[in-house]
Amino acid sequence: MPLDGAARRAFEAVLDPQDVLSDPVRCRVYECDGLTGHRVVPELVLLPRTAEQVAAAVRVCAEHEVPFVARGAGTGLSGGALPVADGVVIGLNRLNRILEVDPVDRRAVVEPGVTNLDVTRAVAQYGLYYAPDPSSQQVCTIGGNVAENSGGAHCLKYGFTTNHVLAVEVVLPDGSTVTLGSDTGEQQGPDLRGLFLGSEGTLGIVTKVTVRLLRTPETVRTLLADFPSVAAAGEVVSDVVAAGIVPAAVEMMDALAIEAAEEAVHAGYTIGTPAALVVELDGPAEECGSTFEQVRRICEAHGCTRLHIAGSAEERAAIWRGRKAAFAAVGRISPDYFVQDGVVPRTRLAETLDRIAAMSRSAGLRVANVFHAGDGNLHPLVLYDGAAGETARAEELTSAIAELCVEMGGSLSGEHGIGTDKACSMPKMFSRDDLAVMARVRDAWDPQGICNPGKVLPTPRLCGEPGKYRPHPLEEAGVIERL
Amino acid sequence: MFDAHRPPARELLSDCVHCGFCLPTCPTYRLWGEEMDSPRGRILLMDLAEKGEIPLEGAFTEHIDNCLGCMACVTACPSGVQYDRLLEAVRPQIERNVPRPRGEQLFRGAIFALFPYKRRLRLAALPGALYQRLRRAPSVAKLVSTITATLPARLAAVESLLPPVAVREAFARLPRVTPAVGGNRRGRVALLTGCVQDVFFHRVNAATVRVLAAEGFDVVVPRDQQCCGALELHSGREAPALVRAKRTIETFEVLGVDAIVTNVAGCGSSMKEYGHLLADDPEWAERAARFSRSVRDVHEVLADALAEGPRAPRHPVRARVAYHDACHLGHAQKVRAQPRAVLASIPGVELVDLPEAELCCGSAGIYNLLHPEAAAELGERKAANVRSTQPDVVVTANPGCLLQIGKHLRGERPLLHPVQLLDASIRGVPVPQH
Amino acid sequence: MLHPTDLKELRDAVLDSSGTLGIAGAGTAADWAGPLGPVDAVLDTTGLAGIVVHNPGDMTVAVRAGTPLRQLQEELAPHHQRVSLDAARVAEGATVGGLVATGDAGPCGLAFGSMRDLVIGVTLVLADGTVARSGGHVIKNVAGYDLAKLLHGSYGTLAVIAEVVLRLHPVPEREATLAVSCSLTEAAELARAVLAGPHEAVALEWLGTTPDAGTLLVRLNGTAAAMDARLDRLRPVLPGAVDGDDRWAEHAAIVRGGPGDAVLRIGVRPSKLPGVLTALPARAITAGLGTGIATVVLDAQDVAAAHETVAAAGGTSVLRRRPAGASVSAWGPPPSALKVLRAVKQSLDPAGRLGPGRFDPWM
Repeated sequence: MPLDGAARRAFEAVLDPQDVLSDPVRCRVYECDGLTGHRVVPELVLLPRTAEQVAAAVRVCAEHEVPFVARGAGTGLSGGALPVADGVVIGLNRLNRILEVDPVDRRAVVEPGVTNLDVTRAVAQYGLYYAPDPSSQQVCTIGGNVAENSGGAHCLKYGFTTNHVLAVEVVLPDGSTVTLGSDTGEQQGPDLRGLFLGSEGTLGIVTKVTVRLLRTPETVRTLLADFPSVAAAGEVVSDVVAAGIVPAAVEMMDALAIEAAEEAVHAGYTIGTPAALVVELDGPAEECGSTFEQVRRICEAHGCTRLHIAGSAEERAAIWRGRKAAFAAVGRISPDYFVQDGVVPRTRLAETLDRIAAMSRSAGLRVANVFHAGDGNLHPLVLYDGAAGETARAEELTSAIAELCVEMGGSLSGEHGIGTDKACSMPKMFSRDDLAVMARVRDAWDPQGICNPGKVLPTPRLCGEPGKYRPHPLEEAGVIERL
Repeated sequence: MFDAHRPPARELLSDCVHCGFCLPTCPTYRLWGEEMDSPRGRILLMDLAEKGEIPLEGAFTEHIDNCLGCMACVTACPSGVQYDRLLEAVRPQIERNVPRPRGEQLFRGAIFALFPYKRRLRLAALPGALYQRLRRAPSVAKLVSTITATLPARLAAVESLLPPVAVREAFARLPRVTPAVGGNRRGRVALLTGCVQDVFFHRVNAATVRVLAAEGFDVVVPRDQQCCGALELHSGREAPALVRAKRTIETFEVLGVDAIVTNVAGCGSSMKEYGHLLADDPEWAERAARFSRSVRDVHEVLADALAEGPRAPRHPVRARVAYHDACHLGHAQKVRAQPRAVLASIPGVELVDLPEAELCCGSAGIYNLLHPEAAAELGERKAANVRSTQPDVVVTANPGCLLQIGKHLRGERPLLHPVQLLDASIRGVPVPQH
Repeated sequence: MLHPTDLKELRDAVLDSSGTLGIAGAGTAADWAGPLGPVDAVLDTTGLAGIVVHNPGDMTVAVRAGTPLRQLQEELAPHHQRVSLDAARVAEGATVGGLVATGDAGPCGLAFGSMRDLVIGVTLVLADGTVARSGGHVIKNVAGYDLAKLLHGSYGTLAVIAEVVLRLHPVPEREATLAVSCSLTEAAELARAVLAGPHEAVALEWLGTTPDAGTLLVRLNGTAAAMDARLDRLRPVLPGAVDGDDRWAEHAAIVRGGPGDAVLRIGVRPSKLPGVLTALPARAITAGLGTGIATVVLDAQDVAAAHETVAAAGGTSVLRRRPAGASVSAWGPPPSALKVLRAVKQSLDPAGRLGPGRFDPWM
């Protein structure tokens, strides 16, 4: 149902009219986020400047039953900020103030539109930083990180957004404002903050975030090692973990990903090497030094063909620039690509990569791999040419890879979220009852169903009627029980 | 719909994967926080226009016009999107196909009747209120009353931007040939003196000639050179820009020099583009390509000379120096290391980078005249970032930036072109105050 | 008393009973939070015990909810792995499910967080017999809602926890603690200095019977090779420090409290902690100077005022031991999100079968 005039007037009454975009051309640039395969033009785009305006706008939505979708920088890769037809987009990028930095209690209070990296920039002078570091950290916003429970390269050791957010101020779908969590993260009763983090904008809109800051590690050692095969690099990861070492980050890239990243940023990766590992250790100097030697020996024991140790902050930054630019850089070697985000148990990495390679061959499409090897979070990039009619095949391969991860005992998504992209795959990972309970929880927060509808949970409209339940592979293996 | 003359290429449009890495570097996105005033949004609009799904009039033109053309997004883009090429293709389409309101037409007409002409600029630079100066320039006199009536904010912007210039400096000329100091010469170069540069910053040109000569170059300054067309090119006025490009090629290609040197970032970036601009013109393609290959920013020449071994002894300059990357030097020409290397060759200089270094100062060719409010916000932001580093001297290699930052720094600190600092070091004279 | 031994029996027990249900594990937190009201039956989860699957290479373990954490740790030890949780009542046999349901954590929460930060998957049974699962067996996973978080701190009011998947950490080669005698205020200064340095303490707790005199304990984890050097660097920050490895039992004893004690767990911004604690008529205190989380032992009649004091400082508080027979308020002023909590309860347990009284008087 298109928006009626009363709702439009109500939005213009609670916001500055120039902050309500209704021109169809202007609304079109909000038609998608970082997942461009899905596009819906919203009826209106609201660009509030304060938390009070956000709450007022949501109250109008509730009163007029207008579906709304929150959006930060629009960098999400699962279509979590895909607009809803006949609905409004609420852009939060203008709420970009850092409200408080407390170096003593090591925390900062920020608005949702502050970028991830700007938090660290604002606190660096105190020797502190904000740990979660998604590859898009220079542009993605804290609000988006909260919605997606974003990870990053360093979450193996330091955890995800949920481990670093103490409290959130949230505008609920009825327009009221509540605080979840507290100054210490302690919750009186159920951990509603934890539920909200990673709920992909379906339970409300975050308007204020209290984040925990960590002291910048005394020592950071980073190495870039080339290996003759992905399997050899994978064995290094297993051995490092088996040695009781918890690296700050372990990242792997395969030949295609290396080629793209190197072309984009000239970071010193070896073009042509089948696999490269980035291993980073941090901590007190004494600890870091001896452990780093241990990692180096493990690399050498597995036939590492080149070992480059970052000798300066610049060299370290260059290694990370290469890694973090990898996704977008793939745009240089392929007209189009899909990026996947499945997770497998670390011990099944090699097997999974073999399967992906086989699937890639039989689909006749190249797949580049960039991934967080330490926690088994894969980012296969399926390369295709939409103009050559490869889109459908690429989509099929992408879904097949995500579902392969579930089959391996893993997850559809490690950090990008389910969003629009993978909602229809959810029944592969969760039973009807699992999803029904999630839907009941959602309904408790959003009884009108106006808050980012159609995301995360599969709907008959998007995905058709659910098929017959297929037992989860873990269930077949007797690892989990189902009744 | 775009017309058939060089619309933006589909391949270039589809390079954008919508990752958004450009957003934080885009000045207008930083100011307004609206997707359609970001590179990603503008590319999407171009894409839609190219498919004929949206009209060129209205929102499309407004948001393309709002772009400063600073090319920070080109630097930031991991996918290698050539936004510079896209903008270069789209702006002429707008100029040809979208009628502008009368006041806008008049104002743009006045700008392009003034800035590319040194003679008129000199008149305009004479003491007195700006509109008085403008009236003395015969070809713009008839427009002045309309402009003052319809566009007071813009006129005030022009007025406040242009600093007072001594008559002697405005009319000064460089020698036709300055031989390399000391006989053992490295090469022979020609200098493009620029329009605004030569009138308002003649001292920078003079310093450039001295520094190049001191480092072993014969410097040729052709008297018959005219505007290189940068301002028109960057504003989408393609036809007159091409005429100027051809004239500039003709003037310089006969000189038989090793390099054509410029100390103006904007001029350098447009002259390096001639080869691409004239690629479809059989008569000019090769000449233009050869010309563009020989164009060097003065810092590129000096940094190469430094790498070979500096000739001219430097005297220490004890100063904390903040270097501002001019967008057309850093983003458009990717010349970032060379100016720093040149400055670092001065003993005693402590070089500091600015916070938000990638962000445009708001000058952007004639942007600060067309969009004075946005430009003023960016100028204030740049000035605040400059102040935060507490420099003794601020240097930047573009007259537009010098005017814009100068306006917002309000004379708090010496603001120079890097070659002025090097010149002072080589000559052992005090650092100039402007 | 219902005593299921597997998921099917658990679901049947919920389905076959009617009326209200209390959920009990080892019973180590029976007198925490609000008093369980009269219930028609008590569901004992201790029969749901044992590891379901342990993947040492993946550092994850799936375990039935009634398994005592102490026992789990013993089974993990040969693999040099552990669940990084050192809540005081683990030693009393607290179950994994109970630790989740009470949102418990110990001193090393400074580095590893509480149970919420360690649980990566959960299987639950709702009051209507629905069995649901969220999360999974991998550490990194954002698919679907994280229902484990909802159960964390739910005190058995939303669902029965049947199975929990935990992330594991390597057992450090060496743990070492330095102890310094000092007042709470002095301890806060010392803690600040430790945190500002490169020491990476995993626990930073002060304990004492009055704020004027007590002991600061600073615990490090790390490799055997580096530990001595790290301790040498830490000592100058903590003048007079002595070896404190054996002092943690005292800490746990205060947290557990004794007969007749009322124990309150509170949380305020770390810098406010000394002020708030000094204002409370505590008989014993443990203060997490890095986390802002403290435990105070009080007389029952002082609890209500203590809730108010903490709330006024913007903090949180919950009763962690109720003296037998005493009527003591378990919760302070209700949080702003109370209506969400009520809506979730209404949605998952509309008949109000599970854990009546635990959130009294809020819900």
